[in-house]
Amino acid sequence: MSSPACLSVLKRNNVTVSGAGRQAMVFVHGFGCDQRMWRLVAPAFEARYRVVLLDLVGAGGSELAAYDPERYSSLSAHADDLLEVLHALALHDVVLVGHSVSAMIGVLAAIREPARFARLVLVGPSPRYINDRDYVGGFERADIDELLEALDSNYLGWSGHITPVIMGHRERPELAAELNDSFCRTDPAIARHFARVTFLSDNRADLPGVPTPTLILQCSHDVIAPVTVGQYMHRHLPHSELVILDTSGHCPHLSAPQATIAAIDHFLRVPAPVPVL
Amino acid sequence: MMNEESLPELDLRLTQENLEDLYEYAPCGYCSCLPDGTLVKLNQTLLDWLGYSREELVAHRCLQQLFTMGGRLHYETHCAPLLLLRDQVRELSYSLRRKNGDTLPVLLSARLVRDTDGQPLVVRCTLFDITERRKYEQELLRAKVQAEEQGAQLARANEQLQAKNEQLTRINADLDSFVYTASHDLKQPINNMAGLFAELKHGASFPDPEAPAMVGMFEEALGQILDTIAGLTEVVQLQRKLEQVPLEVVELQPFTEEIIRSLQQRLGEYDAAFSLDFTEVPTLCIARPGLHSLLYNLLSNAIKYAMPGRSPRVHVRTSRVAGEVLLSVQDNGRGIDLERHGGELFQLFRRFHPDVVGSGMGLYLVNRLVHQAGGRVEVDSEVGQGTTFRIYLAG
Repeated sequence: MSSPACLSVLKRNNVTVSGAGRQAMVFVHGFGCDQRMWRLVAPAFEARYRVVLLDLVGAGGSELAAYDPERYSSLSAHADDLLEVLHALALHDVVLVGHSVSAMIGVLAAIREPARFARLVLVGPSPRYINDRDYVGGFERADIDELLEALDSNYLGWSGHITPVIMGHRERPELAAELNDSFCRTDPAIARHFARVTFLSDNRADLPGVPTPTLILQCSHDVIAPVTVGQYMHRHLPHSELVILDTSGHCPHLSAPQATIAAIDHFLRVPAPVPVL
Repeated sequence: MMNEESLPELDLRLTQENLEDLYEYAPCGYCSCLPDGTLVKLNQTLLDWLGYSREELVAHRCLQQLFTMGGRLHYETHCAPLLLLRDQVRELSYSLRRKNGDTLPVLLSARLVRDTDGQPLVVRCTLFDITERRKYEQELLRAKVQAEEQGAQLARANEQLQAKNEQLTRINADLDSFVYTASHDLKQPINNMAGLFAELKHGASFPDPEAPAMVGMFEEALGQILDTIAGLTEVVQLQRKLEQVPLEVVELQPFTEEIIRSLQQRLGEYDAAFSLDFTEVPTLCIARPGLHSLLYNLLSNAIKYAMPGRSPRVHVRTSRVAGEVLLSVQDNGRGIDLERHGGELFQLFRRFHPDVVGSGMGLYLVNRLVHQAGGRVEVDSEVGQGTTFRIYLAG
């Protein structure tokens, strides 16, 4: 478990482990922030679970130099990373809590290695953000382009002095430190690339293949993942239940942490239905 | 120290600045929202920017709904979580969507106020109109993208150049190898021919009265071929030697004196005067055989191409010029018509004074050696007056 390869995986994804308990609960953040966004929710489970937090490569305290745009051009590379973390910690039957894009990353990982996952908690998930004929994702392609523009103008102050991420920050370690200190900010080139990968992804076809009991947590007023999208998820995930939290925005774990904790807790206390073979 | 008398007289009307008026018509937009973004209060400046009435917005719209869709996505994924985690955000760049559909670029700073239980109560926001700044920023972004594209193009061009360079180096090596093999393979049969011809001359007699002259011409031609082959071999051998020997510090005075001595042995008696001046740069860091060949060729040229009826005077000196070392060899010989021959001066087998014995290798070698050492050669010459070779080497 402490082989160099394992250690490098844990370092790559800035994995932190806390809490007590046999079963592990793994929290994965969404686009735009990092593992610190679980601050109001994760501690509530430390008494009963081994709580594992991580940063997706390219976010927070992960190794930015590991962000190879070619490799991370689809969500499945992040799913591979997640599985590598579970392998490194020798974890099975975990409860995976994934927010936003990481809900889909969790879905992909659970399909690939079902034995690693006992339960999935998907917070504000969306299998596809862009409208497609009958499917209403909530966005048009032009909206996503606008987001990329917004990212560009928000990272403008940095663009001048930042070296291309692709080259890594080895020659300028102070840059990596600066990125770490700035909360929920990351290298502009990575943010842009990850935004594209996230908001142009389409994982609708993967949903029926998820064998894991799943809780879908949707906010009642969320422009990014509207209730209709939550209902779509519920219809297509075979073993899912949908809970709509009475809060607005895309981050119930921040805007309604108590309700979020209660919903997850309730889901975990009810024994999983025996799958019908 | 300021005393009271020096204070400017204040207009009393200003000390009673109306706070309500200040809020409503401040030169920035103000608004307050519930933690979920629902607008509860906006100032008149912001309403004027947006083109909405207060009634249309308060309690009906959220702050994030005032932004373009891209900005709203950014707000929900980045700004909203940040506000709840850090209680403030600063200098976020968004575009407001006006009622008439136009956009207005703004910079948003916001602070979350919590109640006594620590629960989020209200978000206070200021918005600054950055229309002009945004234009400038977009120019910058465009320039940056352009610079990155050009950088990528340059990198590609560089790669191609490097590949070309490697290819040329290989071809060069192949050529050297070819020249060596050719000269080596030619040497044996030519030597045989020379031997056979000597035998033939010795034993045979030719009835043709013109035969002796032809025999002489044949011998001369044979000699030229042998010289050429020897020259080619020397070029290649020197090249191979240079690749093996290290750079070393060479003391120019004794080194040059030694070359002059060996020239005297080889060219026999000549009435030449050499003056050497290496005081400014007494040593060079260079491959010894290369420098030897270089000086040997230049000095022997200076003697060989002396002006008939004038004793050769050769001046060799070093100096420092703008960070480079200049080695110059100046003679008072026949000179070269540079206007006619300048372009082919350093080409292999090019000769300009057919009445003097030579192989056409010397200056080719000099130029090649200097280039290999990372330097360059300049020539000044005047027919009938003399020639100066100036060799610039990295200091």
